[in-house]
Amino acid sequence: MVSVINTVDTSHEDMIHDAQMDYYGTRLATCSSDRTVKIFDVRNGGQILVADLRGHEGPVWQVAWAHPMFGNILASCSYDRKVIIWKEENGAWNKMYEYTGHESSVNSVCWGPYEFGLIMACGSSDGAISLLTFTGDQQWDIKKISNAHTIGCNAVSWAPAVVPGSLIDQPSGQKPNYVKRFVSGGCDNLVKLWKEEDGQWKEDQKLEAHSDWVRDVGWAPSIGLPTSTIASCSQDGRVFIWTCDDPAGNTWNAKLLNKFNDVVWHVSWSITGNILAVSGGDNKVTLWKESMDGQWACISDVSKGQGAVSTITDTQQNEQ
Amino acid sequence: MAARWSSENVVVEFRDAQATTMSVDCLGYQAVLSGRRFLYIVNLEAPSEPPRKISRQSKWDVGTVQWNPHKSESHVFAASSNQRVDLYSWRDGCGEVHTSLQGHTRVISDLDWSWFEPEFLVTSSVDTYIYIWDTRDTRKPTVALSAVAGASQVKWNRKNQNLLASSHDGDVRIWDKRKPNTAAEYVAAHLSKIHGLDWHPDNEFILATSSQDNSVRFWDYRQPRKYLNILSCQVPVWKARYTPFSNGLVTVMVPQLRRENSLLLWSTLDLNSPVHAFVGHDDVVLEFQWRPQKEGSKDYQLVTWSRDQTLRIWKVDPQLQKLCVSDMVEDLMEGISLNEELEKSSQEPEIQHSVGPTAGNLQDQSISLNSGGRQDSVVGSGLPQTLQQEFSLVNLQIRNVNVEMDAVNCSCVVSAHFGSHQVHLVVKFPAQYPNNAAPTFQFVSPTTIPSDMRIKIQKILTDTSLQKVKRNQNCLEPCVRQLVSCLESDMTQDDGPATGPFVLSNPVTPALPAFPRVTNTYGSYQDANIPFPRTSGARFCGTGCLVYFTRPITMHRSVPPTEPTPRSLSALSAYHSGVLTPMKMRSESQSTLRLYSGSPTRSDKDTVSISSFYYKERKSRRFKTKREGTDYSNRPIKLAGKVIIQEISCLLPVHKALGESYILNMNDIQEMCQKNAAAALLVGRRDVAKVWALASAATSQDLSPDPDPDTETPWARHPFGRHLLETLLDHYSHMSDVQTLAMLCSVFRAQPPPQDSYSLYGHHPSRSSMFPPPHSRYPSYTSSSVTSGSCSSTSDSINTTTWNTGRDPEHPNPWGESSPDDYRYGNPCYTDPREREREQHDMNKRLLDPANTLQFDDFKKCYGEILYRWRLREKRADVLKFASCPPEPHKGIEFGVYCCNCRSQARGTVCAVCKHLTFQCAICHVAVRGSSNFCLSCGHGGHTSHMMDWFRRQDECPTGCGCHCLLQSTF
Repeated sequence: MVSVINTVDTSHEDMIHDAQMDYYGTRLATCSSDRTVKIFDVRNGGQILVADLRGHEGPVWQVAWAHPMFGNILASCSYDRKVIIWKEENGAWNKMYEYTGHESSVNSVCWGPYEFGLIMACGSSDGAISLLTFTGDQQWDIKKISNAHTIGCNAVSWAPAVVPGSLIDQPSGQKPNYVKRFVSGGCDNLVKLWKEEDGQWKEDQKLEAHSDWVRDVGWAPSIGLPTSTIASCSQDGRVFIWTCDDPAGNTWNAKLLNKFNDVVWHVSWSITGNILAVSGGDNKVTLWKESMDGQWACISDVSKGQGAVSTITDTQQNEQ
Repeated sequence: MAARWSSENVVVEFRDAQATTMSVDCLGYQAVLSGRRFLYIVNLEAPSEPPRKISRQSKWDVGTVQWNPHKSESHVFAASSNQRVDLYSWRDGCGEVHTSLQGHTRVISDLDWSWFEPEFLVTSSVDTYIYIWDTRDTRKPTVALSAVAGASQVKWNRKNQNLLASSHDGDVRIWDKRKPNTAAEYVAAHLSKIHGLDWHPDNEFILATSSQDNSVRFWDYRQPRKYLNILSCQVPVWKARYTPFSNGLVTVMVPQLRRENSLLLWSTLDLNSPVHAFVGHDDVVLEFQWRPQKEGSKDYQLVTWSRDQTLRIWKVDPQLQKLCVSDMVEDLMEGISLNEELEKSSQEPEIQHSVGPTAGNLQDQSISLNSGGRQDSVVGSGLPQTLQQEFSLVNLQIRNVNVEMDAVNCSCVVSAHFGSHQVHLVVKFPAQYPNNAAPTFQFVSPTTIPSDMRIKIQKILTDTSLQKVKRNQNCLEPCVRQLVSCLESDMTQDDGPATGPFVLSNPVTPALPAFPRVTNTYGSYQDANIPFPRTSGARFCGTGCLVYFTRPITMHRSVPPTEPTPRSLSALSAYHSGVLTPMKMRSESQSTLRLYSGSPTRSDKDTVSISSFYYKERKSRRFKTKREGTDYSNRPIKLAGKVIIQEISCLLPVHKALGESYILNMNDIQEMCQKNAAAALLVGRRDVAKVWALASAATSQDLSPDPDPDTETPWARHPFGRHLLETLLDHYSHMSDVQTLAMLCSVFRAQPPPQDSYSLYGHHPSRSSMFPPPHSRYPSYTSSSVTSGSCSSTSDSINTTTWNTGRDPEHPNPWGESSPDDYRYGNPCYTDPREREREQHDMNKRLLDPANTLQFDDFKKCYGEILYRWRLREKRADVLKFASCPPEPHKGIEFGVYCCNCRSQARGTVCAVCKHLTFQCAICHVAVRGSSNFCLSCGHGGHTSHMMDWFRRQDECPTGCGCHCLLQSTF
């Protein structure tokens, strides 16, 4: 059954804006309006403060762990217009890189799939999206998509590394020809898909359905099926599930998951891409699952504040 | 606290007034506040005196109230209430309605007294009529202007007694009261509703409109097609009115969701940024009016009424007025040419003001002041102004810091209290400042910090200021912030051990937070495009965890739950009143008035934060405000909730237990299926157990296909063959059960790796030599990275796919393996039709459609990723072995070998030329098939286990070549 395995008291001095565990689920990174990022070792239900990272000059909005093949790397973004990349070396966390190329609050950071190397997308209220690629020797290559979203970009999320039209034969033995893609959401109420072609980032698709600012987007992890799935949520309280079956990636269908009464701030996919966690201004977390016939249903309601879980009904699929 | 250079000098709260609007009389003695039950007359000379009341009986709120602007009638005011206008007279401390004007059939939206005829009043209504009333004959309006559309605003022209303007949605109409049938001019001013309309005080033709479309536009109505100028805002503008002194404009924004209030003063000559923000009101500013200038005073006073139920009087002194006259010479020139007319008129004050009986002395003052201001700015455009301006705009609402600014002497005193320390710092600005001339910093008593620290701080401040003034930028604010951060970091170090419940094992030294580059303050009006921060969230992490955090239970939204959370960070601008202690909670009246409550604990924290939006319960648990030196990590009220990690793997279709217990043993498929079925039962996946039983049946030896296509239809063609399997795969795809999918695909490998798999595609035939043959196709690359005891790191490297479970080629799997020359569909020409038939048969006899091979590989790859997260790397390797395309090529160093048999160059473990294993162990002289180690220096090596044994005791090469392998090959 669903059970609380750990409750971490972060001792942040102000409200928390993001919490995320690393690849293996052994460490927890949190960030807060108190301008700090904290890292806890949460193995075996414990909580040991590993690092208290100070360096931002404003509230820190989001954190993101890089794939462990690159080492222990964490990125954070803040109101102070900076993105800081932190790295653990010999047990000590230090700044690895500080990116100051945005002119307004940086709202979202997301590492790309490890197949592309150490690459990150950042979305900012200045409307631009930056792509930072580590090229070795402390060097970062920076590409910037200006005016990606008018007014501001609120969220970015990478597509899993899959080969486009995966059913088409490719010369085997060569490195698969992955295409870098990500999705972004912004204050223009749009969800936009971006694709790298010949080293240049191009707008691939523009998905319209929301009637207010898009607050978060999440590209579902792939389990190897040719369908791509994206979730988006907005100030308008709506959550949409976008799917695309065609290998060229041109036709996206929107399905309304639910209309909530308050802003929806965050969507997150489970590792197999069949459960979506939705959270928003109502201080609640709900889990949604796609049934066999393609309908989405709420399977739980983790009501907050009480710190308790109201029944998560285990609609297990083992029954045949 | 922070030195503010014009601040309100009067704040009075009328908690029960519930007044919707306000008006200041033409003498500036009193203001009327219109509540539903009473009208309150506030004596502006002594505003804190209890106001006089006039009771009224109406179920309607007062829409508009306005005093008669003529001195002779200064005791009269008009108040509209639904369809009626009541005229009150106020004499000797009591007032009463003496007349009512009735004629409108719908609610009255606005009213305005004529500037020229004390008896004339105009009213506008939703009923589409605009009436001009002569208050001496109240039976019916003297003039009725038919507008067809309902009007929201109506205003008399200040210079022409016949002209008036009205607004209808986004349009403005200019009327001549002598021609009531049609409007004299139409201006399609805005795309959305106009909230405010104001005629220029000195120019007959110019007016300003403020609208829902987030802009203020300036018009010459003679050119209705093009606005003269535009002020673009991020939010709708409620009112924009000219100031009585020249070139100024005051705006009130329509707060998004009623939370932000921005009362801003602008210079119409430079609309890029406001000249001043009047900060203090906690809620929407409902009305603002200028109080006529007092005799002999150069100050103006702005009277404001807000929904926070306070009346404030703000002093606008000549310095601030001067800022509305742009300080730049170019701008000034432009301004002069732009306002030629204004200039002219200001040269002839007599004419101008004889017509405007409104407080003539007021305008006289303003004009003399104007010209004076202008001269000032031309003459001394340099220093005092800029410093003055810096002082006025500087934002120094910092905890424990006070800055006293003295613009006349070009200096300021910064005093700060940190813990037990006090700092007093005198900053002197040179005449050329900020043009490459840095101020000086001097500590004065009673500064208590040690002298070494003084020196350090002084140096930091000098550096900071130099950096700024080199670019001719102001440096006061950065310097003060730098000072604070120095002091703060010093204090934190002081009480380091006591900072929190956790002791840092490797404390990260708190970096000195540099001054913010951000010039606007957090959560201010400029942050309108920054999304409102998340205060709760949930994320799936790792494989089976849900991490979530929420607002602490003690923090409540201070708005009714029906109102959505604001979208933008600028909603916090309501909290920028750090100086004022917030008013007591008005919990009783809150619901009716939809008041926005400030947080009761805000006073202990001067910086605005997201937490200000939420108010904290437990007011009763009043904590004693600790004296200075409080370690503020011990806030009594927790602003951060707990982060909860929840185990949700039972909701997932994949199981770690199965990942551990599943086996892939192609030598005995039956047994493998049974074991896996048992494992599936253990975790409660009965469905999967059945699938394993089916797999066992389908892989039975009895059903193995005959190599001869003519004997029988292969089992794969049977409905229980490929079709059944595809149905199963489809089912588990829908369930996202990548674990079952990958396992099924591995068992029924669609594409067995033929010996010569790469020529299959007809592409690079030579490639086969570059890659080892199938059963060891993924050589243990680690062999290269663990050379001679050197590197044993990279435990996290994803490429460490070590295994030694190469299948025995003697036992080919009847379902997968095929002979090397079985098929070559890369080659289109068949010499023999039988060959074609055989190939067809070969495709048909497979249970998995070979056309979908890559799809099946993707399942395995994705499952492999999950296994990796579970840290089951060997299981991952087991699965990936069955993928038809190799994992990503190794990106590190790859070692070539000279084949020990034929001496040709080879890669991997088998020589492409002679097909022998390439590398011989230096110790046992047997060819190495699995993992090997060798010395980079002499090239000798062998089985990893042998090498490890050897070098545990020796440091020379086992071949006796004399190489000190352990020493040589460390890199």
